[in-house]
Amino acid sequence: MKALVTGANGFLGRHVVDALLARGVEVRAMVRPATRVEALGWPASVDVVRADLRTSRDLVDAFENVDVLIHLAAVVSGGEDAQFAGTVGGTERLLDAMAGSNCRRLVLCSSFSVYDYTAARGVLDETSPLQQTPDVYTRGGYTVAKWWQERVTRRYVEQHGWDLTVLRPGFIWGRDHGYLAALGQQIGRHHVVIGPLTRIPMTHVENCADVFALAAVDQRARGQTLNIVDGPGRQVWSYLSDYMRGTGERGWRLPVPHWLASAVIRLAFVTLFRRATKVPAILTPKKFDAMLKPLRFDNRRLRETLGWTPPLSYQQCLTRTYGPVPVPTEAPASWSSGTAASI
Amino acid sequence: MKAALIGAGQIARQHLACLNTLPGVQLAAICDLSPATAEAAAERYAIPSWFTDYRAMLETVRPDVVHVTTPPTSHFRLAMDALEAGAHVIVEKPATSTFEELQTLILRAKQTGRHVVEDYNYVFNRAPQEILRRIESGEFGAVTHVDVLICLDILGPGGFADPNSPHPALKLAGGAIADFLPHLASLSHAFVGPHRSAQTVWSKRKPSPLPFDEFRSVVEAERGTATLSFSASAQPDAFWLRVYGERMQATANLFETRLTFDGPRNVPKPLRPFFSGLEEGSDIRRAALSTLLRKFKGPGAYEGLWECLARTYQALTARAVLPITVEDVLAVNRMVEAMKPTEQKI
Repeated sequence: MKALVTGANGFLGRHVVDALLARGVEVRAMVRPATRVEALGWPASVDVVRADLRTSRDLVDAFENVDVLIHLAAVVSGGEDAQFAGTVGGTERLLDAMAGSNCRRLVLCSSFSVYDYTAARGVLDETSPLQQTPDVYTRGGYTVAKWWQERVTRRYVEQHGWDLTVLRPGFIWGRDHGYLAALGQQIGRHHVVIGPLTRIPMTHVENCADVFALAAVDQRARGQTLNIVDGPGRQVWSYLSDYMRGTGERGWRLPVPHWLASAVIRLAFVTLFRRATKVPAILTPKKFDAMLKPLRFDNRRLRETLGWTPPLSYQQCLTRTYGPVPVPTEAPASWSSGTAASI
Repeated sequence: MKAALIGAGQIARQHLACLNTLPGVQLAAICDLSPATAEAAAERYAIPSWFTDYRAMLETVRPDVVHVTTPPTSHFRLAMDALEAGAHVIVEKPATSTFEELQTLILRAKQTGRHVVEDYNYVFNRAPQEILRRIESGEFGAVTHVDVLICLDILGPGGFADPNSPHPALKLAGGAIADFLPHLASLSHAFVGPHRSAQTVWSKRKPSPLPFDEFRSVVEAERGTATLSFSASAQPDAFWLRVYGERMQATANLFETRLTFDGPRNVPKPLRPFFSGLEEGSDIRRAALSTLLRKFKGPGAYEGLWECLARTYQALTARAVLPITVEDVLAVNRMVEAMKPTEQKI
């Protein structure tokens, strides 16, 4: 079995490549032309193709002998239009190429951000309401792009009769990506913790990558939309403590009840900012909700559909994220032993 | 009037948001090569139809005005076809890749009885307009010199110097800086008129895919002189406009709302710098606040684009003289042409 992985050198992508190799899947890794792949430590069996989804021609060749596309590529920095052009335009170009190939199976990396947090109540799961148009356009560039990416992909799948699995990870964390938007507002070294007891929908990057590899090979994933969280999630205060301990950062933490912050922000939005859309994300009610609303999260459908349990425990994830960097000889597939990295 | 737009990228957002606020203007259709981009823009700006084939759009919608906001090298073909379809054309700068294309376009516009407007948005920002108002009133005195300097970091990885995806503007003579020459030339033209001669220096300070990252030009124009510059290395980002008159001087940063004047005052001469300094300080403080507030809502530094479009549509409706005439477009582009790097230098 051969998988084409887009965004293969990204934060999630490099772990997905490792997870696929560990499951015995052949990998064709798509990376941008200027990417330096040597540092990734991939074995020679990884077939690297260089393309930029925004501009490259002849993407169809990348699908040769590919059984499944794992589409992770997205532009997550820059302005709203750059994100849309890269993420959505790139997906259109990629799927146009797929339509000219024999590949009929695809796993898409979507996001929790496609849910309408403001409308969601209680538990956020796969049955929760999704963002609707035109409301989605108030949610900012990342959400607009990911929401459209999923919409476009579903249209192609319907048109061509492909098999699709949509995976929607929560906050993906790991080494150098320990700080999460759910932690509130950082001011210098200090943190305003909004809703200290709120649970964070989080998945460690290696656990998350394991789901992608599993979905690629498991027939039961076909036609499914699955949220990825490792479990009910840590509380904001508790994870922030682990983050500060892990990084050695020092600073004050000011806890603010969620209801109070929410009321202040909603009042300021209609009075002071007069529903302006260009204020910082945390001061916009819909974005505030998407980062900080106290909801519960579970991975019941993921467990029941694929029989998945996270290979790494929370403690192991902490060690992988904040512990010493593993020596290179342990790479690339040693993580699958399920033990914490050590030197 | 029925408006349509081709190319739903970054700058299109300003055109669309503005058009939705103009009285008597119906935003009828949008076109982009990417169906999702076109449809998303149609949803966001409540546009009744979207297309991926601009010819189909021109035929089906028959717009009165077509906005061309695609990458520069495609402007000429799209603008020509829009004229053939009977529409006026508002085209983003640079209007065409070459001066010859511009002449062809303007000739065709005359033959079809339509207008071609190149967007010189910064001329219509509040600061240049206020300086022009004071010049017109005689308060400023005759302009002797204008100095325009854009400091903009275009060497960052996501912009013009993206090593993975060459920016379309790199195809222009002069590379990314050519994208900014119409801003420099149009401001110079607004204050000192058509150019007579230009001396330019094109150089490169840092390694990048860009052919040049620094530009200086000294221009002799009909009513005065100008120095026009672009620097990718000078930081922080700023867009300085300084106008020197026979009675007053004005300084503005067009990325902000800052505008200060220095001129004669009714105080003993030794005290003039003191009072000028106080007044300038308070103007800068007020501008700091208004620059912050305008970040929350509205067009920000693109205020001139909104003003330019509003005036253009008013003039088109009233069949009056446009705020940017065909003579302006030709004069500005002659200046741009004179400032472009020579073949040998490219």
